[in-house]
Amino acid sequence: MERRFRQWRGGLVALSTPVLGVIILVYLMVIFYLGWLGYKKTKETEDYMVAGRKIHPYILALSYGATFISTSAIIGFGGAAGALGMGLLWLAFMNIFVGIFIAFVIFGSKTRRMGLNLNAVTFPELLGRRYQSRFIQGFSGGLIGIFMPLYAGIVLIGGARFLESTLSIDYDVAVLILTVIVAAYVITGGLIAVMYTDALQGTLMFIGMAILLVFTYIKLGGVTAAHSALTSMSDLVPDSLAAGGHLGWTAMPAFGSPIWWTLVSTLVLGVGIGVIAQPQLAVRFMTVKNDTALNRAVLVGGPFILMMTGVAFTVGALSNAYFYNTLGKISVVVAGGNTDLIMPEFINSAMPETFVILFMLTLLAAAMSTLSSQFHTMGTSIGHDFYREFLKKGELGQTINITRAAIAFTILASVILAYILPISIIARATAIFFGLCAAAFLPMYTGALFWKRMTKEGAIASLLVGTFSSLFWLAFVHSSEAVPLGISKAIFGVDTILTGTWTVVDPILVATPLAFVVAIVVSLMTKPTSKEHLDTCFKE
Amino acid sequence: MLGIDDPQIWLAYILCFVSAVGCIIYGAFKWNDDSDNGEVD
Repeated sequence: MERRFRQWRGGLVALSTPVLGVIILVYLMVIFYLGWLGYKKTKETEDYMVAGRKIHPYILALSYGATFISTSAIIGFGGAAGALGMGLLWLAFMNIFVGIFIAFVIFGSKTRRMGLNLNAVTFPELLGRRYQSRFIQGFSGGLIGIFMPLYAGIVLIGGARFLESTLSIDYDVAVLILTVIVAAYVITGGLIAVMYTDALQGTLMFIGMAILLVFTYIKLGGVTAAHSALTSMSDLVPDSLAAGGHLGWTAMPAFGSPIWWTLVSTLVLGVGIGVIAQPQLAVRFMTVKNDTALNRAVLVGGPFILMMTGVAFTVGALSNAYFYNTLGKISVVVAGGNTDLIMPEFINSAMPETFVILFMLTLLAAAMSTLSSQFHTMGTSIGHDFYREFLKKGELGQTINITRAAIAFTILASVILAYILPISIIARATAIFFGLCAAAFLPMYTGALFWKRMTKEGAIASLLVGTFSSLFWLAFVHSSEAVPLGISKAIFGVDTILTGTWTVVDPILVATPLAFVVAIVVSLMTKPTSKEHLDTCFKE
Repeated sequence: MLGIDDPQIWLAYILCFVSAVGCIIYGAFKWNDDSDNGEVD
C-alpha cells in the first residue's frame, strides 16, 4: 500500500494540483455541512448510536455500501483481479447476493425488530441482550475495539497516501488532516453524520466507477471484443502463476490448486460470507423505522455493489488486454509485480486526465466512508459495550460522552498501529478482520435471530471457540499471516505448523464451521432460554 | 458467451447482473408493501 501511492505520485505530476485542491476543498466543505447537520439532529443516545432509527432507505443503502467498500476493495481487490483474472467475479456476485440481498432481507428485518424489542443500540448489545449476558456484550465490544483499529489502520494509510500524493503534502501531515477531519464529524455528529456523509461519498463512488467501466469497454472496442482479447491471452500467463493453477484471465484456476484455494476460500467465501457478521454493517439495520425501508434499500444497494466490486474486478482483469495492446506486457509486469499498482497504473495511462481527478475523489470518498463507520463502531464498542455495560454494569449515564471519548481513544490506537505495524500485516488487515468477525459472531448472530433454542452458554462457547480458533489458525497455519507475524517461528521454529494445502485454507473455513458446531452442541446440552425472554426478543 | 470461454466465469458475470437486477425488482415490488411492518413511532 505504502509503495503503491508513492509510485502513483510519479504518474500524477501532470495533474493540476490547484484544481484538484479546490475540488477537494469544496468536497470537504460539503462533508462538514453534513457533519454539522448530524450534530444538530443528535439529541438523544439513540440519535448518536443508531441515527434515531429513522434513516431514509436511500441513505441506508449508500451508507451500507460505501462502508462495505473501502479503497482496498477497489484498488487491492481490483489489482488481485488483474493478476488472478475474472474468477473474482464470484466474489462480486456474493457481495450482491449475500452482502445485500440475504443481509437486508433475511438478517436485516429480524435484526431491526429485535434491536427495537431489546432497545439495543449497538451490535454487541443486541447479542448481549438476546442472550442475557453482559459478558457477550463486553467480550464482543472488546474484540472489536482491539482488532478493528488494525482494519481502520489500513484504510487510514490508504487515505493518507492519497492526500500525500494528490496534494503534495507530507505523509504525517496527511494522516493528521484525515484523522482530524473524520474524527471531527464522527465525534460530534454520531451515526447521523456518518450516514449522511456516507451517502454523499457513495454517490461519488457510484459515478466514478460507472464512468470507469464505460471508458474501459470503449477503449477495448466493446464488451465481447474486450473479453475475447483477454481470453486469447491465456498463453501469456507467467510461469510462476501457471504453476499455481492459473489458466488464463477469463478462466477459473485449476480445481484444488493453491490459486484456486486462495480465490475460493479467502476471497470468495471469506470476504463474501464474512460481511454478514460485520458489526459496523449490522448496526445499520437498526437505523431505519420499518421493513419497507429495508426493502427499498435493496433496490439501491444491489446495483451499487455491482458498480463497485463488479466493475473493479472486471476492469482489473481487462487491464491486461489494454496493457498488452499498448505496451505488449501483462498488468502484473507493468505494475512491477505489485498488484496494488495495477489499478492506479491502468487509470493513469488509459483514462482522460479529468477522469483521473474524479477518480481521486472516488478513492478519497471510499476511504473516508469506511473510516468514519469504523471510528464510530470502535468507539461505541469500547465506550458503550465494554466500558459502560460490561465494566460498569451499565450504571453510568452519559453514554454519548463516554462513547465520544472512546472514539478519540480508538482513533489514536489506529494511528499508532498504522505507524508501527509492518506493511505485510497491515495489508492483510481487511481479511483478518472479516474472518475473525465471521468466526466469532456469525454463529451466535444467526442463532440469535433464527434459532430460539440457542442458549447463552452455546453463544458464549461459540464466541470463544470462533475467536481463538480463528486467531490460532492465523498465527500458526495460514501462511499469509503466520509467516509475517513470526509467532509460529518463534515458538515452534517452523513458519507454519501444518504444511501443504492447509497453509492456503483461510481461517474462516476452519473456525466458522467449528464455532457453529460448538454453538449447536452446547446449546442442546444446556437449559433453554425462558419463554418470557424469547417472547420479548421475538415480539412482532 | 460474451467472449469468455469458461462457463464458470461467464456464469459469474451473468449472475452479477442477474442478482443486481433481482435486487431492483425485489425493491420495486416491495416498494409500498407495508404489511407486517413493525414500525417505530
